[in-house]
Amino acid sequence: MANTWRLTLNEKNFIKTALLSEIRLDGRKPFQFRNIIINFGREDGSAEVQLGQTRVMGIVTAKFVQPYRDRPNEGTLSIYAEFSPMADPSFEAGRPGESAVELGRIVDRGLRESRAVDTESLCVVAGKLVWAIRIDIHILDNAGNLVDAANMAALAALMTFRRPECSLGGEDGQEVIIHPLEMRDPVPLIVHHLPIAITFGFFDECLVVIDPTHSEEAVMAGRMIATVNANGDICAIQKAGGEGVSQRVIMQCLQLATTKAADITKQIKAAVEAYNKERALQKIKLEPTCVGTNVKEGQDQTLDDKGISELVGKYMERLKLISGESYTSQNINDEVETKSLRLGTDSHGIKFSSTPLSWDPYSKGVDPEFLKASVASQGLSSANKKKEWSGEEKPSEAQRPGSYKEVNPKSSAVDASRIEMQMIGPKTLKDAVKPKNKRKKKGSSVI
Amino acid sequence: MENKQSSSPASFIDSTIVPGDVVLDLSSMTNQTIKLGGGLRQDCDVISAMKAGTLRFSKPNKYWIESSQKRYVPCVEDTVLGIVVDSKADNFLIDIKGPTLAFLPVLAFEGGTRRNIPKFELGTLLYLRVVKANFGMNPELSCTDASGKAAEFGPLKDGYMFETSTGLSRKLLSSPTCPVLEALGKKLSFEIAVGLNGRVWVNAASPDTVVVVANAIMNSESLSTAQQIIMVEHLLKNIQ
Repeated sequence: MANTWRLTLNEKNFIKTALLSEIRLDGRKPFQFRNIIINFGREDGSAEVQLGQTRVMGIVTAKFVQPYRDRPNEGTLSIYAEFSPMADPSFEAGRPGESAVELGRIVDRGLRESRAVDTESLCVVAGKLVWAIRIDIHILDNAGNLVDAANMAALAALMTFRRPECSLGGEDGQEVIIHPLEMRDPVPLIVHHLPIAITFGFFDECLVVIDPTHSEEAVMAGRMIATVNANGDICAIQKAGGEGVSQRVIMQCLQLATTKAADITKQIKAAVEAYNKERALQKIKLEPTCVGTNVKEGQDQTLDDKGISELVGKYMERLKLISGESYTSQNINDEVETKSLRLGTDSHGIKFSSTPLSWDPYSKGVDPEFLKASVASQGLSSANKKKEWSGEEKPSEAQRPGSYKEVNPKSSAVDASRIEMQMIGPKTLKDAVKPKNKRKKKGSSVI
Repeated sequence: MENKQSSSPASFIDSTIVPGDVVLDLSSMTNQTIKLGGGLRQDCDVISAMKAGTLRFSKPNKYWIESSQKRYVPCVEDTVLGIVVDSKADNFLIDIKGPTLAFLPVLAFEGGTRRNIPKFELGTLLYLRVVKANFGMNPELSCTDASGKAAEFGPLKDGYMFETSTGLSRKLLSSPTCPVLEALGKKLSFEIAVGLNGRVWVNAASPDTVVVVANAIMNSESLSTAQQIIMVEHLLKNIQ
């Protein structure tokens, strides 16, 4: 009883009078959002969003279930919101209260009704086995406007989540094999657009604020939550009780919401991009000398950090090129197939599957011929490269000139980056034991 | 500033101590009366610490432990800001951010009789003095000073109240004046009431002055003197 937060009359009157002069308690303008910080956890699919002092964490997990009878070809999406007692003295552990249920419902409606997540791609065996995506939202600190922060956390988590790749196989072709994460890179979800929730607080006399803080929420007379996306589509609107608002004000709010949604979408996408870059960099660092490289020992590596990040940047561009902005598998298939043809290797040397990040040479092993060809034809002007190729064996040389013209410089840069990563990475026992020359003669054997 | 106590060889005054540290050895100090403030406890012949913080001493004989928390432990003679939660026949129930609600007797006002009991709405902010604060009991408050005069105690009108840690409220009340208040006072005119329970009330003629003062104080907690002055200048530049 003594530990609850209490609102004083002074605060109530002050907030209202200050708003009449368009001043808010933290110095914001009425239509200004608080500072948004998006962080990601170590695992794919976990994100934490800070909206001012409000902190919300979103976690995405997936498992196999039977589909609903009326939708046998679609996966399912479910949202669970938990109001942790550490966030606010008024939150109690146990069954979710009314506001927790409302929050879960708003986020759910925004994602499901607008079909932001492609559920048809989550189907594995029609009618029998589909992926069920579960989003858990944990409120860590309540400083007002939980809905917007929770929505952002759910979206950030969805965009960085990766589910294990699975394919049909087995004796009768009906068995589902889930590939372990080390064998095949996990696959991201297909997210068509980002529905962003924007909360408006209404005070007497047609005063509207965006992104209310804890005190403002206690004082406001009504609120409306509009879920819109950057394209201007209105995905959902929630106005549960509260003061009546005129139609003109609602239309103004919706227009404002669209502008804000565009900014927030940009921010989320930038954060996800940075995370993906970091992830790719980590992956490259994890596998320094995967296959015997064509590098002679004792090469002086003059690549410094700048060079590395530049190469990683090119690798990321390559991934973007493959994945494209629209995330549809169709484009990916086409692009990736053409690349393999252009590189002039056996098509079975690297198997490409339908999703972008499963193009991972380490999963199938790297074809040294392929690597040589691509690396040799890349346009990098570092002296090292020229030096190392001078000692190449003759049989492979014939292959190379042919592939010079056809190779996409970006893709080859990727391989170059990987090779150079390998060069720079710590030498293992393998290098000491197996001389590199032997590996070259093996031919295009794939692991 | 501080006096090293010559009686104890290893003096802990103004240094950080943790619960369990023996602060004073009474066997070496004979025929002295010492007063123990918050966070200290007597165990037979030694005084040991119960709270983590800095040990403070003030002449002639008062020792206490100072630390900064969000939680307030009621102490006699503290001035606090309380919020009216309920009114009963004999007392008002006031929230002072302590472990329990505090009682404000209805007669504890200057010239207070049964006939002119003030009526406070729920949520009224009051500036009060702690009269009794014993462990396990609800603290008792008063709207008068020790001699019975009103002396600025009572309800605070208008303005804006925000919460801080207890350490920051002590800094705001210290003398010489806290640098952030001094820097603000040079350019703006405002009224301020600081409660040792971590509540601060600000009032000024225009709302943006109030907002600037409140934000400046809230930001100043972990800043040094020079940083505080720079921060205040920055904030003032933005509104002018």
